Amino acid sequence: MDNLKASYPQGSDPVRLPSAIRVLERGWLSSNNIVLHDDAETATVVDSGYVSHSDQTVALVGHALEGRRLRRLVNTHCHSDHIGGNAALARAFGCTIAIPAGEAQNVAAWDSEALHLDGFGQRCERFAFDSTIAADDRLTMGGLDWQALAAPGHDMDSLMLYAPEARLLISADALWENGFGVLFPELYGEAGLAATRTTLDRIAALDVATVIPGHGAIFSDVRAALERAYGRLDAFTRDPERVTRNAFRALIVFYLLDRQAARMDELAALLEQASFFVMLNARSYRLAPGALAQKLVAELTASGVLRVEADVVRPAG
Amino acid sequence: MDEATGLCRGCHRTLDEIARWSVMNEADKRSVVATLAQRKQQQKGSDPCG
Repeated sequence: MDNLKASYPQGSDPVRLPSAIRVLERGWLSSNNIVLHDDAETATVVDSGYVSHSDQTVALVGHALEGRRLRRLVNTHCHSDHIGGNAALARAFGCTIAIPAGEAQNVAAWDSEALHLDGFGQRCERFAFDSTIAADDRLTMGGLDWQALAAPGHDMDSLMLYAPEARLLISADALWENGFGVLFPELYGEAGLAATRTTLDRIAALDVATVIPGHGAIFSDVRAALERAYGRLDAFTRDPERVTRNAFRALIVFYLLDRQAARMDELAALLEQASFFVMLNARSYRLAPGALAQKLVAELTASGVLRVEADVVRPAG
Repeated sequence: MDEATGLCRGCHRTLDEIARWSVMNEADKRSVVATLAQRKQQQKGSDPCG
């Protein structure tokens, strides 16, 4: 979330994609949506954005289908910014939904904690899935053969999708042009730092020309992105407290991108009531909710991510 | 999206511009961005949706 300010790609050359693929580059609240034209009649979409954007997701996907029928939706992992439009897309297009095998129980039971919802200040519309995808499964999308690859770190059950022939990687939140997603498992004591290193090593061993990340612009300088990611991971490993601070910052900004505005006392209430914030505060900052809200907002305002006017906090963009 | 103008209420781009954004070159992106302030005026009063 530190790269919120760098949401416009810097490179001058557009990245080329196979003609059957459309990438709907969204923002930080909604993940990117990838529309793959399977043939002249049908299409697949990967990831569906955040629930508050679901009308726009339906409109954008409908546009990118170019007359095809959406037959299938595939999720890389089950966080609110990747599955928030699942129910709306299924309703609008009658598509089936495939999720990572490791998420099946959480989604079937709609486990709010495991899905990072109420306790994280996030929302999602419930959906039902039709099938699961496991690591090393093969699938065909956009006329290309893809391998599902395990991508633990940001989420232990997350998958990446790799098309060797096209040298294309759908990296989800395991690798962005500048960093990767919050390392939630590490905060639950699940060795997320080690898992992230395994996943970055796995990407480094692939032959990849183009990465379609879960957030931000498509990029082709994979080596440079990996170097930045390893650098970030090394910094986290030296000082694991930074993982907690990164999570707090990211989740507060995410909350404000969803709500668009919140009063300081509303943020304090969130920090007091949402279980994930309570757990991290008890372990790390140990501040009263009001003081913690003030501190986090001051830091995020100083980094130019948020702005405060008359006690109302908003995203700076 | 704003039904009257066909623009996103958050970024003021059209559906087509958002759809093509990921593969547009820098010059084309800049020419879209150059029109956004004026479009924002047209949309004044709408709630942002992202």
